[in-house]
Amino acid sequence: MLLIKCPYCGERDQSEFTNGGEAHVTRPKNPEQVTDREWAEYVFIRSNPKGIYYERWVHTHGCKKWFNAVRNTSTDEILLTYKIGETPPPIKKFQNTLKSPSGEPDVGSGNFTVKKL
Amino acid sequence: MTDNKIYFKFDGKRYGGNKGDTIASALLRNNVKLVGRSFKYHRPRGIYTCGIEEPNALVQIINEYNEPNVRATVKKIYEGMVVKSQNRWPSLKTDFGSVNNLLSPIFSAGFYYKTFMGPKGFWKNLYEPLIRRTAGLGKPPREFKSKSTHLHHNIDILIVGGGLSGLLAAKKLAGTDKDVLLIERENELGGILKNSNKVKSVNDQKTSEWLEKTERLLKNSANIKILKNTTVTTYNYSNHLTAIEDRSVGIEPDNKKSELVLHKIRTENTILANGHIERFLSFRNNDLPGVMLAASFEKYIQRYDVVPDNNPVIFTNNSSTFSLLKLLIDRKSMPKAYVDVRDLKKIEKETLDLLEAYNIPFYPKSEIEGCDGNSGIKNISVRTKKNKIIKIKASMLCVSGGINPDIHLFTQSKGLVKWDEKILTFKPEKSFQKTITLGSVSGNFIFKDIIDEVNKKLNFIDGVNDIDLKIEVNGSEEFNIKEIWETKNNNNSLWSKSFIDLQNDVTTKDLTQAIREGFDRIEHLKRFTTNSMGTDQGKISSINALGIVSKLLKKSVSEVGTTTYRPPYNPVSFSAIAGRSTYEFYDPERKTPIHPWHIKHNAVFEDVGQWKRPWYYKKYENETMNEAVQRESKQVRDSAGILDGSTLGKIEIKGKDALEFVNMMYTNSFTKMKPMSAKYALMLGEDGMVKDDGIVCKINDNHFITTTTSGGAANVLSHMEEFAQTEWPNLNVYLNSITEQFATFNISGPKSRIILSRVFNNIDFSNHKFPYMTFNTFDYLNYKVRILRASFTGEQGYEIYVPPKYALTLWERIFYYSRDVDLVPYGTETMHLLRAEKGYIIVGQETDGTVTPLDLNLNWMIGKKKKDFIGKRSLTRSDIIKGDRKQLVGLVPVDKSYGIEEGQHVIEDKNIPSQIDKPIKMLGQVTSSYFSPTLNHSIAMALIKEGNRKIGSQIYVSTSNMNVIPVEVVKPSFFDPENKRLLS
Repeated sequence: MLLIKCPYCGERDQSEFTNGGEAHVTRPKNPEQVTDREWAEYVFIRSNPKGIYYERWVHTHGCKKWFNAVRNTSTDEILLTYKIGETPPPIKKFQNTLKSPSGEPDVGSGNFTVKKL
Repeated sequence: MTDNKIYFKFDGKRYGGNKGDTIASALLRNNVKLVGRSFKYHRPRGIYTCGIEEPNALVQIINEYNEPNVRATVKKIYEGMVVKSQNRWPSLKTDFGSVNNLLSPIFSAGFYYKTFMGPKGFWKNLYEPLIRRTAGLGKPPREFKSKSTHLHHNIDILIVGGGLSGLLAAKKLAGTDKDVLLIERENELGGILKNSNKVKSVNDQKTSEWLEKTERLLKNSANIKILKNTTVTTYNYSNHLTAIEDRSVGIEPDNKKSELVLHKIRTENTILANGHIERFLSFRNNDLPGVMLAASFEKYIQRYDVVPDNNPVIFTNNSSTFSLLKLLIDRKSMPKAYVDVRDLKKIEKETLDLLEAYNIPFYPKSEIEGCDGNSGIKNISVRTKKNKIIKIKASMLCVSGGINPDIHLFTQSKGLVKWDEKILTFKPEKSFQKTITLGSVSGNFIFKDIIDEVNKKLNFIDGVNDIDLKIEVNGSEEFNIKEIWETKNNNNSLWSKSFIDLQNDVTTKDLTQAIREGFDRIEHLKRFTTNSMGTDQGKISSINALGIVSKLLKKSVSEVGTTTYRPPYNPVSFSAIAGRSTYEFYDPERKTPIHPWHIKHNAVFEDVGQWKRPWYYKKYENETMNEAVQRESKQVRDSAGILDGSTLGKIEIKGKDALEFVNMMYTNSFTKMKPMSAKYALMLGEDGMVKDDGIVCKINDNHFITTTTSGGAANVLSHMEEFAQTEWPNLNVYLNSITEQFATFNISGPKSRIILSRVFNNIDFSNHKFPYMTFNTFDYLNYKVRILRASFTGEQGYEIYVPPKYALTLWERIFYYSRDVDLVPYGTETMHLLRAEKGYIIVGQETDGTVTPLDLNLNWMIGKKKKDFIGKRSLTRSDIIKGDRKQLVGLVPVDKSYGIEEGQHVIEDKNIPSQIDKPIKMLGQVTSSYFSPTLNHSIAMALIKEGNRKIGSQIYVSTSNMNVIPVEVVKPSFFDPENKRLLS
């Protein structure tokens, strides 16, 4: 179980939280003026990277506040949490947690238990 | 009885054991070696190990709780314990299923996948029952009884394992300001010091003396807590571990006390000092009762004072068996022979000296070819270095195939392991979390190095000092091992097998066959052969399998890799996981304030989310649901009915921007709506699909109250919160769940106005003063009630909102005033029937997350002039405006005597072929169906393709007995389509 730092309450067990999918997906200002494709991008399409992911969480069984988190999806490490409205830190800041172009670190992903020679 | 024996029964026979004995040690004390039959071939099996790693000795405890698959090597006996062997019929000695052994050629790897493919019906009726009877393990308890609790720990340092290195780590941390938890699996601290004869003295004291002193020191340290009889089973992310404590060790389970405690531990650092597990070797009939791991044999002597056999043969490929040899000689039990795979030059001098001094038959550079015997070892065949077979009469064989650091937890923590060519095993290489490994789990098998390791690895912790340790060992400190996984064998009789997984009966031949068939990836091979997939997870054999596979594939073990170690470390009882959350405590029950009245009036309840709602009321003992619903429905239409609607979700929306927010959340327009009026409203997701419905009451532009479906209240609130917080944080709105602040009664029927006028005699309920879809708050007695004119039945109706504490009195008062008007309490089923007559939808019944308002013909609910609301843009997506979507229609059977079944397919063709060989074209499905007592025929709603265009036509609905009935498509409003009654 992950330990997640709610920006309002502090560190709590994962079971108190609900994941809310990708963060910083902006709702089009004038939905009537966007194309079907652009609207579908907003409603359905998410980036789903292996590696650094900006996502939303809500402290469901706590303060009920939504906040943003930066998570490495290949190791499940939550690297940072910050409040809604705060500027997301650049992805560069976290790049050193990744070890290969595919985002596969040499430890922690669970895909390789044995050290490669 | 005055002796200190504890008596128990095994397969009906009474045996005596000592206090502290496990079932296994007590059986060995009584010279019982045959304890079970194997999983697939029903071969006789004995006790192979002396601990958690046991693959063979699984037994069933017979008591109130009926524990199956108990490891005899772990479970301690108690007075009167009843133990039975498993997997045998009719008895352990003469087992019918052992014929499987002779059929073994057909039971080879992948057997289940290949053999039971057909013919159709054979699996369900023949194969499965047959396999279930012959394969498989123990029997589960008949009733689930949980006697466990959960405890949480938030600590600084967790030490897993109270052996030498765990104790040294704890000692180092004693007196610091760190909160330390030390977990030990056995009932005593000590680990290797207790299990073996390897360590002679510690700090010039006897090991037992040193242990006693150290334990006292730790117990007196305020910062250290020790848990014994506790096994860490899971190592999760963020240093979260779970451990199971057995509180009924050596005592009979007691109803009143919790037997197991599940500890949930969150720690800053984890120290893994959980030691190692000895591995076995594969040779012919390496499963015969009498074969035992060498260190386990030693543990039985050291810990339990049981010598399983006075003159065993020892078979080894490494230095660790010296201590067993010495122990046996010290006890004047001379081994029959000492067989060592290693070259004479590699064998340590201490061993050679001892063998020579006591004249023990010694075979260097030799191996065990196999063993023979019926239900236990009789003869052991040794292949000497000159390739000669020598037979030795003996009844036990002690085997050591090397030592594996117990890396299970380490790999669960996502740490990386590395193959060590010197000690021929995997050892931790790099931690992923804040994990430290100490002692043999880190691959350090040298006692005198442990203290340096402890000091070096723990010195980063604030406030610790270096500690000293002087350790003296029996024999050589060096560890050397020769690679061998399987010995050569001569005999190829059907009965002779060389096993790689004892519990799942996987032979080395199965591995070869799997590779031949192309399953050469270790994860595939594991699943195809079921190697290491038993409850022991191959603790003594999985590394051996890698060794064999690497040889077959001509690859290094590193290249072959390991399969993934997954939690739990050992089998966990469901009872421990369940804790207190069983039966009535499994899920909270929510009850309305009227609940006691419902019970008094014979309500049958339905679960809606966590709510208990009256489903229908039984008027007399034998009234069926159908009879009750027909009666209730008729009475509502004839006079009046009352429904407890307290479970309805209620959300209060306040704030300067409440109007703008509500306009965004619902499809309808609320801008021009008058204060103190209400609207039936639809909520969509951004995908345009109906998410919820309810009534929105506008008090003013800054204050709204909305209702939601009973089951959807929490979701709707969180959906609103999500948009309020993340999309429009600039809006000034506050959301609050007020579901439980009000009880709600729905009164409807032609006489509802009369009833209300009597109860609230100061309120004018006339259509003129109190029109449909308006509401107001009134003073009543000493509290306030809110009354809304609305209806879900199509009748004249009112909803009354009242503070819960006055609700029951008011409910009874309403009945008091309705004595002569025939007011009927009705349940959810009648509500569903009545709304279906009107064609009103239920979200979740007519909708399933793929239905738009347009599909439901609810276009009128969409605020046309609204620029935006959630889901609006999706309603004009090309796929949504395509004409061929399913639309909601009504269905009426052509022959009115027929009933339509809910959930049935709607089809165009009236003929269903007797043999269906291609899919039948389906138009849609019946979403609701009832027999209407008012119309006296069946009515149904259905979602069907291009439904609107089909109105007036005849189509067909399938039935559960493979028939079809013709139905007419109508508009989904069967009763009072002009709403005369609703607005009366």
